[in-house]
Amino acid sequence: MERFAQSTVYGLLQGGLYGLVGVGFSLVWGVTNIVNLAHGALVVAGAYIAWELNATFGLDPLLGMVVAGLVLFGMGYAVQRGLINLVMNAPIFMTLLLTFGLELVVVNGLVSTLTGDYRSIPTGYASRGFAIGEVRVPYGRLVGFGLAVVLTVALAAFVGRTRTGRAIRATGMDRGAARLMGVPVAHVYAVTFGLAAALAGAAGAVIGTVTTFSPAAAGGFTLRSFVVAVLGGLGNMWGALAGGVLLGVVEAWGGQYLSGTLVNAIAFAVLVAVLVVRPSGLLGRPFYEARVEAG
Amino acid sequence: MILGRKVPVVPAGTGLVLALALAAPAVADDAALRTLAGVFMFAALASAWNIIGGFAGYASFGNVVFFGVGGYTVAVLMVHAGWAFWPALPVAVAAGAAYAALVGLPVLRLRGHYFAVATLGVAEGTREVVLNLSHLTGGGAGITMPVLGSRATTSYPGNTAFYYLFLAALVLAVAAASAVSRSRFGYGLRAIHDDEQGAAATGIDTTRVKLAAFALSGALTALVGALFAFQQVTIYPERLFSVEITVLMVAMAVIGGAGTVLGPVIGAAGLQLLAEYLRQRYLNLHLIVFGSLVVAVVVLMPEGVVSFATGAWRERRLGLLDTVRRYRV
Amino acid sequence: MRGRVGVLVAVLLLTTACGKSSGKAAGSTKDSVTIGAALSLTGSLSREGGLTREGYDQCAEVVNAKGGVPVGSRKVKLEMRYQDDQSTPDVASRLVEQMNSAGIKLLLGPYGSASTEAAAAVVEKNGQVMADSAGADDKIFAKGYRTTFAVLSPASRYLSAIVQAVVELAQPKPARVAIVSADDGFSKTAAEGGRDEARRQGMDVVAVEYVPNGTTDVSSALTKIRPLRPDLVLGSVHLAEGVAIVKQSQELGVNPAGGFGETVAPATPDFVRTLGKGAEYVLGSAQWTPDVSGRDDWFGTASDYAAGFRGRFGRDAVYHNAEASAACLALVMAMDRADSVDPKKVRDALAGLDADTFFGPIRFDETGKNTAKPVYVIQIQDGKVVTVWPKGPGAQPLRWPTVPFDKR
Repeated sequence: MERFAQSTVYGLLQGGLYGLVGVGFSLVWGVTNIVNLAHGALVVAGAYIAWELNATFGLDPLLGMVVAGLVLFGMGYAVQRGLINLVMNAPIFMTLLLTFGLELVVVNGLVSTLTGDYRSIPTGYASRGFAIGEVRVPYGRLVGFGLAVVLTVALAAFVGRTRTGRAIRATGMDRGAARLMGVPVAHVYAVTFGLAAALAGAAGAVIGTVTTFSPAAAGGFTLRSFVVAVLGGLGNMWGALAGGVLLGVVEAWGGQYLSGTLVNAIAFAVLVAVLVVRPSGLLGRPFYEARVEAG
Repeated sequence: MILGRKVPVVPAGTGLVLALALAAPAVADDAALRTLAGVFMFAALASAWNIIGGFAGYASFGNVVFFGVGGYTVAVLMVHAGWAFWPALPVAVAAGAAYAALVGLPVLRLRGHYFAVATLGVAEGTREVVLNLSHLTGGGAGITMPVLGSRATTSYPGNTAFYYLFLAALVLAVAAASAVSRSRFGYGLRAIHDDEQGAAATGIDTTRVKLAAFALSGALTALVGALFAFQQVTIYPERLFSVEITVLMVAMAVIGGAGTVLGPVIGAAGLQLLAEYLRQRYLNLHLIVFGSLVVAVVVLMPEGVVSFATGAWRERRLGLLDTVRRYRV
Repeated sequence: MRGRVGVLVAVLLLTTACGKSSGKAAGSTKDSVTIGAALSLTGSLSREGGLTREGYDQCAEVVNAKGGVPVGSRKVKLEMRYQDDQSTPDVASRLVEQMNSAGIKLLLGPYGSASTEAAAAVVEKNGQVMADSAGADDKIFAKGYRTTFAVLSPASRYLSAIVQAVVELAQPKPARVAIVSADDGFSKTAAEGGRDEARRQGMDVVAVEYVPNGTTDVSSALTKIRPLRPDLVLGSVHLAEGVAIVKQSQELGVNPAGGFGETVAPATPDFVRTLGKGAEYVLGSAQWTPDVSGRDDWFGTASDYAAGFRGRFGRDAVYHNAEASAACLALVMAMDRADSVDPKKVRDALAGLDADTFFGPIRFDETGKNTAKPVYVIQIQDGKVVTVWPKGPGAQPLRWPTVPFDKR
């Protein structure tokens, strides 16, 4: 019983982090129809930025998270506006290859400039925790989960209530009609990608406090993001958070009661199963019902 | 220009290239043969991918799973059942086709990005399963085929033999692609690519056609995987099911020209040799340069290098920004 | 269509031409010998590959500063030729082949057992010679190869050394041991060695849990181990999993009285840096420490080596650096003994080598393993890596039992 409770709690917290990592990815895929293979690399970049700020200025990573988010917003905006926008109408393999090339550049750029060593952002509190009976709840992960919820709320509010947010949703529904209404599509796409990058960077900063990271971890984050996005429905932010939590818990249970090495296999089995059975998402619907292609 | 009308250039040209390839071991050393064997391997993989990805337009991002299935089938048969390589090879090919049919049934109902991600999930998931079946496959420790020493079930061919084996696999893959391209089956695939519902409306059994294409692609990929496993002797799941191999074969097919017969071969030759050259030249930064070049090619030549080159030749100008204007948002 | 075929022809001709011309590159000139090394400069093992390269460079620097290796009547300088194997075994084997075509017959090993095994096969086929610095899996040496010589102690000893150290030094002896192992070949071999040694010493191995190689989340293994209340948790892992074990043990409240003992991870500087106080008391196994006894004419003693390394690189040498330098040293000593750079003669000289070095004793058995050198056990004390076993000059007393995380 102790094992079940502990693994469930830990899995929930881990799932919150997965959700935070995947929500930006889901937004971009849902709105711009871009599958960003470099998403995990952006997460790792955010972790490095927070680490550098902590090492050089002693900045607490929760503040470093904000800086990482801003820096990555700028980078993401520039990349979308300057590069990805140029191939938006090309066949889908092209956008996949483009983001693949970007991933190579970012990951190897990190290795070259910052060395490939494993890092973690030291905080006094992250590994400590409190206990409820036999179950330990570590502070660092609890904070991470809280941030995941807060940021998802903020993102949902932004997309739901602000003008830019509505422009984003409109462009995602029907690019041509949005353009006719005067929405600057190139800019809106760039803002969307920038937002996703910012969230990835913030996720990276948070992850940096609870675990070690290195450029080699980028691929794993991207793959988890796929699962989260598909589970929750593309572009559905609450769905992404819920999808992340579900994935975290399923992985934790699988790791406990099957073998510890099966954790990744479970994640992929979930992905394929959901895609085959209910591609619109297990937990939510895509945030728009009908979608008009091209324009 | 007279030559173009009297002599069938494409078959003659291909014949010349083939003759050169057959003669190469007489003049090239072991390292060059190994590099060329690698080119042939990737060209065969890209051609096999092209059947489902280029002709049918279903961008599989998990074709490496058949590579791994082929490799592990021969390895397991040789290690656990004491088979020699040659009888195990057709079993591996059949396994690739069977797995493709099995996976294809549910997954080919998806389109576009969903299909790509599903195939990626299948590939990664299969790798993890292979990792976990360590009694059968050796798991993370890898599996070593009995080809050296006294307990060998098959004697190990040398570098030159593997060169010819991979060349043969490439010729087979290109021949298959060419045959498909000219046949009704190929027209069916292209019809599905253009407008799947329309194709179904004209009476094409799209499910069967797609499955057949996927199975053919899987069979050819598994063949190459089996040869690779034989060449490497010890294989690991991370390598035999590496997503990097899939991306490379897609990049080669697409950059060379998806949907054409020779495009993947040219793309493979170009990218592989480029990567080798960069690795020698830029010890630490070669992947950054390679990634940047991929980005540049995708942005400037989204229809493939070869179409761009022939178009530029035809119009006698480098219209680098023309395609960009056509595809940008 | 024509254009495409033309491109294909051009490409094929180009490669063949390239293949031929590279055969001219020198394997050695009168005053220098080229030593080749395929290393993981990119990819998942890039960090360790970089450390290995530093070790090779340090050796070349030291040897060349003394004028080079005395070969016959002249002195020959070392010229290193590196290639990136991208942490991938099949690339490593292709690079070894390319080096052979370029006339490079003397090689230093890649990082990691997988790439070393792949490289060793090609080295054997071509009659090259390889000094292995970082491929410890015993499997490599079970194939009857005669051209690969490993200066490092084999994998089966990595974890069993920690068990032996604990049995010899710890009061009270731990009774219950749990093992967490990564699922790659090297870690599995080390884990089995540790498990067998623990049983031999009368300990109860309560669990052996496997985790995915390279993972940063070992919580499932720890959650299974926690209710079994082990006195000692052993990890047969690499850096990522090693750090995760300690960090997540702190999160999950796993507090074995004897603490933790891990292969590979604790001896690297990243370990203390990322864990801070959490790293205290952790035992680790190392192929070398600066307290090792032994000296040679090139590097001096272990502390001389450490000082020289710090002088050049500005930080402390770790065992990955030292084992790399030692492999290079073995080649140098063999060339010296054989008075030749011919691979056959160097190979025979290596086989007969019996030398005392800054790295400890180097003597190869008939399979090519260095069975003369022990694996050293270290402990993190006050944020520093300190040798605790085998007992000798420079070894510090073991701190035992450990203090639980929340009391530090």
